[in-house]
Amino acid sequence: MHDTGLPTGTSGDLVVDIAGLTRVEGEGSLRLRVRNGAVEEAHLEIFEAPRYFERLVVGRTPDEVIDIVARICGICPVAYQMTAVHAFEQGLGIPIDPQVRALRRLLYCGEWIESHALHVYLLHLPDFLGYASALELARDHRAAVEAGLNLKKAGNRIVELIGGRAIHPVSVRVGGFSRTFLKTEITSLREPLAAALEIALATVDLVAGLVPPDFQREARMVALRHPTEYPMNEGRIVSTDGLDLAPTDWLSEFQEGQVAWSHALQARSRDGRPYLVGPGSRLTLAADQLHPTAAAALARTGLAGEIRTNPYRSIVARAIELVDAVAEALDIVEAYQPPDRAATPWTPGPCTAAWATEAPRGMIFHAYALDERGFIADARIVPPTSQNQAAIEADLTIFAPQVLGLPSDQATHRIEQLIRSYDPCISCATHFLQLHVEDVG
Amino acid sequence: MAPAVEVEVFVCGSPDRGDDGAAMTACEAVRTELPPGVHLRAVGQLDVEDLLAVPPEATVVIVDVATGIEPGAVVELPLADLLETGTIRPRSSHALEVSGVVALAALIGQRPLHGRVVALGGTRFALGDVLSGPVAAAMPRFASAIREAIEHARSDQAVTGGAAACA
Repeated sequence: MHDTGLPTGTSGDLVVDIAGLTRVEGEGSLRLRVRNGAVEEAHLEIFEAPRYFERLVVGRTPDEVIDIVARICGICPVAYQMTAVHAFEQGLGIPIDPQVRALRRLLYCGEWIESHALHVYLLHLPDFLGYASALELARDHRAAVEAGLNLKKAGNRIVELIGGRAIHPVSVRVGGFSRTFLKTEITSLREPLAAALEIALATVDLVAGLVPPDFQREARMVALRHPTEYPMNEGRIVSTDGLDLAPTDWLSEFQEGQVAWSHALQARSRDGRPYLVGPGSRLTLAADQLHPTAAAALARTGLAGEIRTNPYRSIVARAIELVDAVAEALDIVEAYQPPDRAATPWTPGPCTAAWATEAPRGMIFHAYALDERGFIADARIVPPTSQNQAAIEADLTIFAPQVLGLPSDQATHRIEQLIRSYDPCISCATHFLQLHVEDVG
Repeated sequence: MAPAVEVEVFVCGSPDRGDDGAAMTACEAVRTELPPGVHLRAVGQLDVEDLLAVPPEATVVIVDVATGIEPGAVVELPLADLLETGTIRPRSSHALEVSGVVALAALIGQRPLHGRVVALGGTRFALGDVLSGPVAAAMPRFASAIREAIEHARSDQAVTGGAAACA
């Protein structure tokens, strides 16, 4: 007998059913089956349809694909565009001007800033400070939320300038961009970014002082690693257990599979192991490549080890990456020189194309086959959340027993908070959460 | 002569997701008849930053397709009432519901937001969907409601998002 106040069945086992996860990007639910205090099954149920896009792009040109895949997500469209454009350029052997490369990294920095600021301040911080929503948090801590919004706005400005508009940017083209950017346009970002850097540094101090729930585990972490910069557009696929792959070779180590409880495919290693992508994985595997300002901020927290073992510390990882993205963006702005041309000319043709980049939520992989006319014949798009599902379920299996003795609302809150730690981007809806427990053992 | 009060019309939704594109379609129908000082802005997902950028003297109209109301039903109400009802849920929200965005903007901006929201109940939101039957049938009423909301926008009561914060 337990005193959670949760609905129970008659057979003795416990089934926890969280019907709608709140403050995550999308619509999902959670079902836990518990026997004798141990979680036998943790099913993160996701209702998204990435394969829809994989069919939608067939018969399209690479440049059309770049615009189409941006529609997969309103939070991280740049991640989809960057992964696709790099894949096509890799497959077609198109060289890229160094300043175009820098602009793309700047665009990606903008998206990281937008996404991480949103998550830290509006989605995750309320959990730690005991508020049900960002609105309630703002009533008591208006200045903090305002700072977070200003930080996000700096990211918006980058994406709006480089991407052509704030949501679903339109400027990225195979070989470069649809236009060149004047130096004065780029340097207009200097002032807001300088202000954003101060906010980002303060954000690290704020979140490093939060007390997370006590939860430690060792997860297999996977991220890109670049020899000279923090991973974003480029790098090799590495893991905490020694994996080292070219960014084109994701399929040689990982595979996707269907599970009965989710519309999204789940990715695992080919030997069946779950793995985790995202800010915690990046910091664990590439902290030595952080911008010096971000590296110093991480060192001040003293939390690098905890970021690896306690997923609730992901909010600190995001804050460190906010500093990194803003500082890096400032460096790019200062060093920018307009390229001679907006894009490298290229010729359509048959190829296989693949690439991995780092979306705010973790590594994202695209693979395409182009036919003789240069049109898409086949596509595979693997978003971060599909890769994280199995690892999230594994973490919930370990963590949930700690909270199942709590009253229903508290148990729901702690489990949701853990799920929010991974910032899952599920589809395009935010709904409420209902916790249902059935005792069936 | 007093300057014309400006009205910012925020058009939410995505045209490639079935009913979610109905707001854009309806606003396209009224675009050519807008009086001076009324500006249409397609925002996809309404953000707090969008509302914070509204000039202090301007009023807003938010046009969206939502769940939580009957498919095909058109709801037009002051922003203040939106916070009270809590029944309109945007299907395409990535972060905060419209009521939360409005309240947060008023709170952060430390000034009341004036205006209206016009919502159409939707039911079909998958990528590539066409408008559902109830939504397609409601489009003329939706466009009329948008016109009326624009006319009403200047006289609505303020939204504070929290009396203490905005007093």
